[in-house]
Amino acid sequence: MTGNYHQLTLAEVRPGMVLSDVLLDVQGHVLLPQGTVLTDAMLALMPRHGIAVLPILKEEVTPEILAATQQHHQARIAQLFRKNDPDSDSDWATATLRRFVTDFRLGAEETPEHE
Amino acid sequence: MNNPSHSLSYDDVVRTLDDLPSLPAVVMELLNSIDQDDVDISVLAKKVSYDQALTAKTLRLANSSLYGLQVKVTTIQQAITYLGFQSTRNLITAAAVTGCFAEGHCPGFDHKAFWRHSIATAACAKVLARHMRFNQDYAFTAGLLHDIGRLVLVSCFPNHYAETIAYREQHDCYLLEAERAVMGVDHVDAGLALAEHWNFSDTMRLAIGGHHDPEAPGAGFLAAIIHVADAIVHALDLAQVQDDLVPPVSTVAWTALGLDEEIYLQIFRETELQYEEISMVLLS
Repeated sequence: MTGNYHQLTLAEVRPGMVLSDVLLDVQGHVLLPQGTVLTDAMLALMPRHGIAVLPILKEEVTPEILAATQQHHQARIAQLFRKNDPDSDSDWATATLRRFVTDFRLGAEETPEHE
Repeated sequence: MNNPSHSLSYDDVVRTLDDLPSLPAVVMELLNSIDQDDVDISVLAKKVSYDQALTAKTLRLANSSLYGLQVKVTTIQQAITYLGFQSTRNLITAAAVTGCFAEGHCPGFDHKAFWRHSIATAACAKVLARHMRFNQDYAFTAGLLHDIGRLVLVSCFPNHYAETIAYREQHDCYLLEAERAVMGVDHVDAGLALAEHWNFSDTMRLAIGGHHDPEAPGAGFLAAIIHVADAIVHALDLAQVQDDLVPPVSTVAWTALGLDEEIYLQIFRETELQYEEISMVLLS
């Protein structure tokens, strides 16, 4: 438990924010441990567990941190796809997957939609 | 026999299969009946419930958000009532197979990472299958078992496999290439041998045999789904292996699925979400 936190509603919480405390569901089961960096995927799951408010570490995600995270993702994708030539004509399916995963990780012009 | 310096044949692999641990009898029965609909469910449910560890794992999976049940199921019979027989059979298989192979005989082989990849592929294949209106239960099980041949090789020929892993690191190639170069057989051959030995259905056999080569005649649509799911899971880095590599995606398989970017992004999100939960149950 850290002192430097605030309670944010689900609508205010953004991916990349950090849980300041362990997150429990209504039955008291642990959903996520303290220090978890929240992702879109996790946040999408919250309503199903009846969670409307989350304890968030006050340390704001600065643009520098965001840029560093994006750079990290980009480097990792490049490493994973190191056998793929993105401009190859014959290996276009791999290149397409690479483009989609890059968009997914870097959140290119994508608004989270929940069905 | 287990001398790393000479390569192996398919028959060498087949001969060692008897040394492998066998699955609980009831799980074998479930696997063998995947294509049948006239199975006596109540008898099977009863048999499974004699195995407490298996039952507990299965019920935890059934109660995970993978299925979003409003009620908590507490017996196998109840799980079948709410999830259906096919899905419950899947969960039992998943719970049984992940605990079947002992770890730690082969230096350098990351058992946990192997299952992380298999579970993620199962989750992704199930999501893909839903979008393709293909049988989700086949897809889940095939995804979970697609690389099972690797465990056969690791368990039966640990020294060969250690050498294979070293070869892969040295050449930074695909593990499949390293297997062929060092052992003379690969995990696809071994998977097919095991599928035969364990009496897997034809559907599963085709998917295991075709997941690296979905363009082969007769490979079937499930092989294409598993092939793409496998690549997605590597690309999403779900197994968390430092020097992981995304395998080349077959243009034929990719075209056969014919999904657009919006759908794929949705599939990535769902896969990550379900993977988290399933792996928490199966790998705990």
